[in-house]
Amino acid sequence: MAGVGKSQRLLNLIIGLSSTRHRLTRDQIRDTIEGYDPLPYGASDEDRAKAEASFERMFERDKKELRELGVPIETVEDPVHGDEIGYRIRPAEAAMPALDLTAAELAVVSIAADYWRGAVLGGDAHQAVMKLASSAEHGPRVELPFAALPAVSSEAFGVLVEAVADRQTVRFEYSSVSSGAGTRTVDPWRVVLRAGVAYVIGFDRDREAPRTFRVQRIGGAVRTVGAPGAFTVPADIPLGALAESEDLHEARVALRPESGHALRRRGDAAGVDDGWELYDVTYAHGDALVAEVLALAGGARIVAPKALADAVVKAASAALEVESA
Amino acid sequence: MPEQATDRLVRMLGILTYVERHGDTPFAELAEHFGVSVAQVRGDINALWVASEPGDSWAPIDFSPELYDEDIASLTLNDALTQVRLSPREAVAVVGALSTMGAAGALPEAGAQVLAKLREALEEPVTVVGEDHIGDEIREPLLEAIRRYRRVELEYVDALDRRSTRVVDPHRLVVIDGHAYLECFCRRAQDYRVLRLDRIATATVLEGAIEHPPTDTAGFSLTPAFRATVVVGRAGRFAIEDMPGVAIEDADDAVVATFDVVDPAWAAGRLLSVAPHLRSVEPRRLADALRRQATAVLDVQR
Repeated sequence: MAGVGKSQRLLNLIIGLSSTRHRLTRDQIRDTIEGYDPLPYGASDEDRAKAEASFERMFERDKKELRELGVPIETVEDPVHGDEIGYRIRPAEAAMPALDLTAAELAVVSIAADYWRGAVLGGDAHQAVMKLASSAEHGPRVELPFAALPAVSSEAFGVLVEAVADRQTVRFEYSSVSSGAGTRTVDPWRVVLRAGVAYVIGFDRDREAPRTFRVQRIGGAVRTVGAPGAFTVPADIPLGALAESEDLHEARVALRPESGHALRRRGDAAGVDDGWELYDVTYAHGDALVAEVLALAGGARIVAPKALADAVVKAASAALEVESA
Repeated sequence: MPEQATDRLVRMLGILTYVERHGDTPFAELAEHFGVSVAQVRGDINALWVASEPGDSWAPIDFSPELYDEDIASLTLNDALTQVRLSPREAVAVVGALSTMGAAGALPEAGAQVLAKLREALEEPVTVVGEDHIGDEIREPLLEAIRRYRRVELEYVDALDRRSTRVVDPHRLVVIDGHAYLECFCRRAQDYRVLRLDRIATATVLEGAIEHPPTDTAGFSLTPAFRATVVVGRAGRFAIEDMPGVAIEDADDAVVATFDVVDPAWAAGRLLSVAPHLRSVEPRRLADALRRQATAVLDVQR
């Protein structure tokens, strides 16, 4: 059966596993699916073993690549046949739902795919565009005045995405703000993106509590440990610090004329005081407001609350003590 | 680079599904739709045609030979196959990028529609939080000006809190690191610029036509003035993680970060917020800027 290309073999494998009534064992796959070499008749034991090993390698790789492509290959055990494992694909689970995209919608998907170009999900994004093109109408090329530039991301992110989908525990080195560098063992529940930064939320096995991890702070590779389907993802995943805070406070800031434009835009004017213009602004995180006032370098000060004003003084005083050669 | 087998497999399934849904389709249309040559389409159809079920020569996919000779794909039998669903990584890639564009405020209308369709089909593979809240009163005039090739007058506040009025030739909206920017030619600077949408205070479409075409080479072309090295306690790590070109090393209870500095005043402003955790700042130029700003803050806040 030489001469059958790999994509052809993968196609035949999908057809075979989708059309089987029950399952196909490895032997059946090797002997009946075009593209694999059946065991030669009358071969020596040594040749048989060689052919066996070569089939195993080929089939394992094919299976892995199809799974990575999103094809759910099920393992089916059959007590009647002892420990021989079989495989099948349920066509309804493997199929892409009919999305009926317009030409303009497909054009936007292509633009979005650029967001990952050259980054960890680049190949996946490109593949997704091809898949979505299957159920999109064909039309004249749509030019849209929009673009997305590649995001910074690491291979760790790709592994985490798969671990979330497979519900598989992961282990990685992590530099935490509170406890320093160390190894974490985590049941990953969900990946989250915020302003282009990737996070994973999961259950930290050692701390026995949900934690949020910034993917950028993971050092080295993410390894999976144990089998897929190892945990259940809770219905309500705590977003923690990533949630939009509903707990809002009000501060009064004083601004020099022609400064603090961002604060002016989201605040309410509250009169003037000795050349300073007063504004009331709401804030969720005091640290963020303090940082904003500090960055204005004397163009703003906090009038109230006192705790935030003190934090401004504390940071500026500390800056005067910083060493430099 | 030779084509990956899985890339070809996905395209073959794509062609099959497309023809199944749209009926007889010329090879030329398939070639255009999937971005390959007509010869490649013919090869893919040949491969689909000879696909076989296990054990026998039963072909589950059949095309009309007469129409094939006229370079038209006409499916007469498909017992077996359709395009496969998105993998978890593919789903996160597409939904994550579209949602990020949406949160940044630069997603075209068709993008919102496709996102709704994907979310319904895929059960939300990724969560995207945080919004820049770009108002229609900014986005709409910019898109109108781009569509009509008109100049636009902007009131803009830069990263150092300087407010200015600029007339620009707008080209497109682009999402960079999760925020939306306007790519344009700025007449005041006489150069290409990317301006952050959430720093645009007002935007007015002018009647004059644009004179400078878009460029592929513009973008963040700011040249760093120098590279800085900062030692900061772990608790202050967050403030330097997003610095341009940053490299971070862990060192006991602190981290050592090196990064590019374009404008010392801007970098000093960022460092001030974690000053209580700062151990050292190099070079002198950046340390001086930090001290100068701290002094200016203490002059007004005490």
